[in-house]
Amino acid sequence: MLKVYNANVYYGKIHAIKDVSFEVNDGEIVALIGANGAGKSTILRTISGLLRSRTGVISMDGKNISNTPAHKIVQMGLAQVPEGRRIFLQMTVMENLEMGAFTKGKADPADIESVFAQFPRLKERRKQIAGTLSGGEQQMLAMGRALMSHPRLMMLDEPSMGLAPILVEQIFEIIGKLHRDGTTILLVEQNADMALKIANRAYILETGRVVLTGTGAELAESPAVKKAYLGG
Amino acid sequence: MGTITKLLESLLSGLSLGSIYALIALGYTMVYGIAKMLNFAHGDIIMAGAFSIIVFTATCGLPPIVAILLGIVFCMLLGVTVEFLAYRPLRKASPLAVLITAIGVSYLLQNVAQLLFGTSDTEFPISVGNSALALGSVSVKYSVLLTVAVTGAIMIILTLFISKSRTGKAMRAVSEDKDAAELMGINVNRTISVTFAIGSALAAVAGLFYGMAYHYVGATTGAMPGIKAFVAAVFGGIGSIPGAMLGGILLGIIEKLAQTYISTELSDAIVFGVLILVLIVKPTGLLGKKISEKV
Repeated sequence: MLKVYNANVYYGKIHAIKDVSFEVNDGEIVALIGANGAGKSTILRTISGLLRSRTGVISMDGKNISNTPAHKIVQMGLAQVPEGRRIFLQMTVMENLEMGAFTKGKADPADIESVFAQFPRLKERRKQIAGTLSGGEQQMLAMGRALMSHPRLMMLDEPSMGLAPILVEQIFEIIGKLHRDGTTILLVEQNADMALKIANRAYILETGRVVLTGTGAELAESPAVKKAYLGG
Repeated sequence: MGTITKLLESLLSGLSLGSIYALIALGYTMVYGIAKMLNFAHGDIIMAGAFSIIVFTATCGLPPIVAILLGIVFCMLLGVTVEFLAYRPLRKASPLAVLITAIGVSYLLQNVAQLLFGTSDTEFPISVGNSALALGSVSVKYSVLLTVAVTGAIMIILTLFISKSRTGKAMRAVSEDKDAAELMGINVNRTISVTFAIGSALAAVAGLFYGMAYHYVGATTGAMPGIKAFVAAVFGGIGSIPGAMLGGILLGIIEKLAQTYISTELSDAIVFGVLILVLIVKPTGLLGKKISEKV
């Protein structure tokens, strides 16, 4: 479904992503795991079109999207839940969901209902300004907002960041459910433990390079991963 | 003239002047909100609006209403073109570079106007005359009524547009977070163009009222109202649309009251003095707000 081939991304002179290649197949959950600064978010931002790779090709369903503007990539069925949620804090919960459906024209009431069914808390707060939501609720809103565009591939950037363990469990349960409902998932996480449990396959990133790849279970057992990411 | 009459009349003419400031301030504040830049050439769009109306009526001989509409369209195109040519290439440059470019565009527009129309002022052909409506002892000029009614209607429509329409919501989304808006499928560049078009249309209307109020237009006509409207936008809280409306109207009223009761010469100094006071007490302006981010 999604192929990243030989990506090299720079921030000015800093070489943030080095020769990265990986793919996400239809129906998979793929995790990108790495420490802070490993380049995980940079990769997602490059796939979404907010950043450009100097080399290589990024393709979605066999179509080269390396130079497609970000706002057109959404229309191809690729949605990103960015790091730090990035919901529109001064807009209401409802308006945030409407923005998620921007490419569809008007938000379909049935889609809004299905997001509310997934996240009942959002329904209670639909008229509230998003900035007044708790961190967990904001994460739910960010995910609900992304769902409004009916993505076939959803990219989640550190959905567990800053959340209490119980909320992290809840968010991962929802990711699992989205996956069972047919959404392909690309998950970026520092929380290797949770991510490897849920992922079919994973790639380990270190300072902008893919250093290891395998199935979730394989990597969870790998001594190198255990040492670096799972606390021994 | 009675004390009350004098007060009411200066309040009314302040309201009228203030609505012109508010129209201009809306352009400043919307562009600032969305593109995070101070478009110091915005004032000169007022001048361009007034001159284009002059050309369409006096030179082309079109009826006033057609000339006004064409003047508005001309300013929208001008605003969008300026953004496209001068500001868009600097989207990722430092704010200082953009600010200096805007000042450059301002001088460019003024000089082009001087080349085309000369250095002396040109008479503005549209007027509603000096006749006034008598309300008891208070007389209200029709031009004042017209200005207040039209700007009031524009503000209501604009507020509804920003809060309810799909494009208006996209504008708010872009002003909050460009990357997130882009990830929603919003074309950020196009949204910025729309904002410049709306701001410039409002400036053209301000140019019309300015011409009708002062009867003469020159190349630097837009500079002073532009600066005052910028003050009004900061006064109300830059980036805030109700703030620009409130700031503009208050500024107009303060200016007229100062002229009536203190001194005509000092009225500008008083206007800018009030800005300094407000910013000392409330640095974000009257309606400016900051929402803290939750993690």
